[in-house]
Amino acid sequence: MAAALSGILAYLGCGLLGFVRAPRVLSLLALLGGAISFALWAPGFPEVLVGGLPWGIAVAGDPWAMGMWGLGLVLHATILLHTRGRRDAFQPLTTVLIGACLAAALSRDLFNLYVLLDLTSLLALVLIASGRRVRAVWAGLQYLVLAEVGLTLYLFGLGLVYGRLGTLSVTALAGQGPNLSDPALAVGVGLLLAGAAVKTGVFLLGLWLPQAHGQAPTEVSVLLSGIVVKIGVVTLARLSEAFPVGTVLLLLGILTGFGGLAYALWEKDLKVFLGFHTVSQLGYMLIGLGLGAGTGALLYAVAHGLFKGLLFLAAGEAVDRVGRREIAPLAGHLSASVAIGLGVGACAIAGLPPLAGFAAKGLLAHGAPAWARGVFYALGLGTAASFAKLVPLFRPRGPGPVGGLPVLVAAVVAFGLGGTLLVGGLLSRRAWGEAIMVVGLGYGLYLGLRRVRPRLPRWGFDWSVVSLLLASVGVVGLVALGWL
Amino acid sequence: MEGLAAVALAIALVGIGFWTLIVRRNLIWKLLGLNVAAGGAILFLVALAHRPGARPPIVGLGPGPSADPLPHALVLTAIVIDFATLALALVYVVFLTEHRHTQDVRRLERDEERGWPQP
Amino acid sequence: MKALAAVALLGLVALLALGVSGVFPRPAVPSGEDIAAAWGAENVVAAIILGVRLWDTLFEILVYAMTMVGVKLGLRLLRWERPLPPVAETPLLRRSADLLLGPIVVFALYVAVSGHLGPGGGFPAGALLGTALLLLALAKGVERLSAEIHEPTLEWAEYGAIVAILALTGALLLVGRRGSAHLIAANLLIALEVAIGAWVVLHRFASSRGEV
Repeated sequence: MAAALSGILAYLGCGLLGFVRAPRVLSLLALLGGAISFALWAPGFPEVLVGGLPWGIAVAGDPWAMGMWGLGLVLHATILLHTRGRRDAFQPLTTVLIGACLAAALSRDLFNLYVLLDLTSLLALVLIASGRRVRAVWAGLQYLVLAEVGLTLYLFGLGLVYGRLGTLSVTALAGQGPNLSDPALAVGVGLLLAGAAVKTGVFLLGLWLPQAHGQAPTEVSVLLSGIVVKIGVVTLARLSEAFPVGTVLLLLGILTGFGGLAYALWEKDLKVFLGFHTVSQLGYMLIGLGLGAGTGALLYAVAHGLFKGLLFLAAGEAVDRVGRREIAPLAGHLSASVAIGLGVGACAIAGLPPLAGFAAKGLLAHGAPAWARGVFYALGLGTAASFAKLVPLFRPRGPGPVGGLPVLVAAVVAFGLGGTLLVGGLLSRRAWGEAIMVVGLGYGLYLGLRRVRPRLPRWGFDWSVVSLLLASVGVVGLVALGWL
Repeated sequence: MEGLAAVALAIALVGIGFWTLIVRRNLIWKLLGLNVAAGGAILFLVALAHRPGARPPIVGLGPGPSADPLPHALVLTAIVIDFATLALALVYVVFLTEHRHTQDVRRLERDEERGWPQP
Repeated sequence: MKALAAVALLGLVALLALGVSGVFPRPAVPSGEDIAAAWGAENVVAAIILGVRLWDTLFEILVYAMTMVGVKLGLRLLRWERPLPPVAETPLLRRSADLLLGPIVVFALYVAVSGHLGPGGGFPAGALLGTALLLLALAKGVERLSAEIHEPTLEWAEYGAIVAILALTGALLLVGRRGSAHLIAANLLIALEVAIGAWVVLHRFASSRGEV
C-alpha cells in the first residue's frame, strides 16, 4: 500500500514542479517513479483504510487497479515520446492527469472517486482547450457542463446511500448486503449509477463525448479515450460490486453499444468516428460488468485503452499532417508509420486474432449466455463494418516521422499475444474461425450498406441535458422499481 | 423540522437549477443554474448531518449529541470543487465571447453547423 | 422541449423526494471525538479533513490548483483589443486599505492557525489573504503591485506549497505521524496555496479592468 501511495505522491509532485521548471525531465521522472512503485506493489495488496477507522479511504491493489496502472503508464510513455518538443504546460498537466487516474484506479471509496472524477474532467477541459481552437473549446465546455450535471446527481445519490448505510467504502457497502427494495437506497444507487454513467459517456447520456474526443488535440484524444473514460468504467465496476445493479448495466450496455455503432457507421469525420467507437466499445465493458464477467470487462477496458490510443494517435497524425478531417480525402496521403498504426489498431478493434481485441472479446463471450453472445457478434459485425471505411487509408505514401506510435503498436501486439496465450486454452479453434468470419461478414455488410444514408438525429446542447436528465430518471426509476 | 425544511429547499434548488440550465439560452445563466443545482446537492449533505438538538461537531461545545461530522467534511470538499468548475467554465465562456461575440447557445450551435464563419 | 424538460425535472424531483423521505430519521453516528483527540484536534471536521480523509483533501487542493492553471492558460488565450482605462485612484480606497490590511492579514492567520480547534482552516484563511492582496492592489495600483512581486518566486511558492502538502500527506498517512503541529502546518500551507492562487486570478482580472 505504501509503495502505491508514495508512487502517486511522487507522480503528482513531479507534475506540479513541472509547472515551474524542466517539465519534460520531471515527467520522465514521474513515469519512472510510477513504474518502480508499480513493480513494488504489482502482486497486489488487500484493502487498507488510509487514515484508519471509521471514515478512512479504502484503497486496494486489485486486478482493476493493476490493469489501469499498466494502461496509464504505457499511455504516458507514448505521449512523452510523441511530444518531445513541447515546453508548455502540456507535460505537467498530463502528468497530474495520469497521477489522478492512477489514484482513481486504486480507490474503493465513493466520495474519493467523486473528487477524482471531477479532477479528471477539469484537467480534460484544460487539455482539450489547449489547442486554442474555438470548436475544441466549445466541445470541451459542453463536456464539462454535462459531466458536472452527472456529478451533481452522483453527489446527491452519495448522500442518500451514506444516510442509509453510514459508510462510503465499496467493500463495507457490499458487506451490508444492500437491499434495493428500500426506496431511499434504491434512489441513491440509481443516482450514483446515472451520474457515473453520464460522466463515462454512456450513450443517450453522452452524445457529446465523441465531439469532445474528436475535436481535442491529438495527444489529448489519446488520453481521453485511452484512460479518462476508463476511470468512469472503474467507477461503474465499483458500483456494480457494491450493489446488485447488473440488469441495469446490461440494458445500458446494449443501448450504448448499438447506439454508438449506429452513429459510427455513417460518421465521416475520422476522429469523431473514433470517438463514436469509444462509446460503442463501452457497450462491451458494460455488458461484461452486467453479466458479472469482471475479468473480461477489465481485459477489454485495458485492450481498448491501448488500441484506441493507437488509433487516435495515428488518426490525429494523419489529420494534422494532411489538414483534412474527413476520411475519404485522407486516402493516399498517409505515411507508412501512420498507415501501419491505423491498420494494426483497426484489426485489433475488429477482433482479429491474435491482436489485443481478440483475446478480450473471446474472454467476454466465453462465459456468456447464448443471447449475450449474439449481442457480442452483432456488435463485432457492426464494428468491423464501420472500420471497413478505413481500408482505403491503408495505402501508405512514403515513410514519415514515427513519434510514439511504435510503443502502442508493440503494446497492442504484446497484450494480444499474451492475452491469447493466457486465455487460449479457453478459446477453442472455433473462436478463431468465428472472429475471422465476423470480420469478413462485417466487410460484406459495409459493402451492402454503402448506399444507405439515413439521417440520425443530432442533438443540441439543451436537448443533451434534457435527454440526459430523462435517461437518469429512467435509470433511477428502473432501480427504484426493482426491475432487477 | 429545520432538517426537513432544508431538505425540501435542497430538492427545490436542484429542480430550479436544472430548469435554468435547460431553458436559458445564455451560457452564463446556464452555468449559474448548474451551480445552483450543485448547491442543492451540497445543502442536502448538510441537512443529512443534522439531528434534533445537535451541536456542532467540536469537542467541548456544550452537551447533547454531536452532528454527523463526515458530511460536513465532504461538503467542504464539494464546495471547492463546484467553485473550481464554475471558475474554469466561466473562463472558457469568456474565451468564446471574445472569439464569437455571443454567449447564446443556439447561435453557437448554428455557427457550429455552418463551420464557424467569421463573426 | 420545455414540456419534456418539465417532465424530466418533475420526475427527478419526485424521485429525490421519495429517496429523501426514507433517509430520516438517521441512525446514531459516532461523534468522532476520540478521533479528533487522536489527531490532535478539537474540531472533529478538521480532524477528518486534515487527518482521516487527507487523501481526499489532497485531490481537492489539486482541483483548486489545476483550476488556477486552467484560468491562467485560458485568460492567456484571449485577445486584448481595447486599450485599458487607468484605475481611478481614490483617497477613500487608500485610507481604508491602510486601516484594513493589517487586521485582515492577522485575522486570516488566526483563522488558519486555529482551524483545528474551532471553525476555520486553510481555505477560508487563503480566501481572506487573497482578498487582502486584491485590496492592496486596488489601493496601490495593480501595475505597481505586480511589478513589486517577483512572478517566478510566486510560482515557486504556489507549487512548492502543494509539494510540501504532498510530503506532509506522506508523513501523516504512510509514516503515521500525528499531532496538532502537523494540522497547523497543513492549514498554513493550504492557506498559502489558496491565497496565491486567488491572487493570480484576481490580479489577472484586475489588470484587465474586468474588460475580459
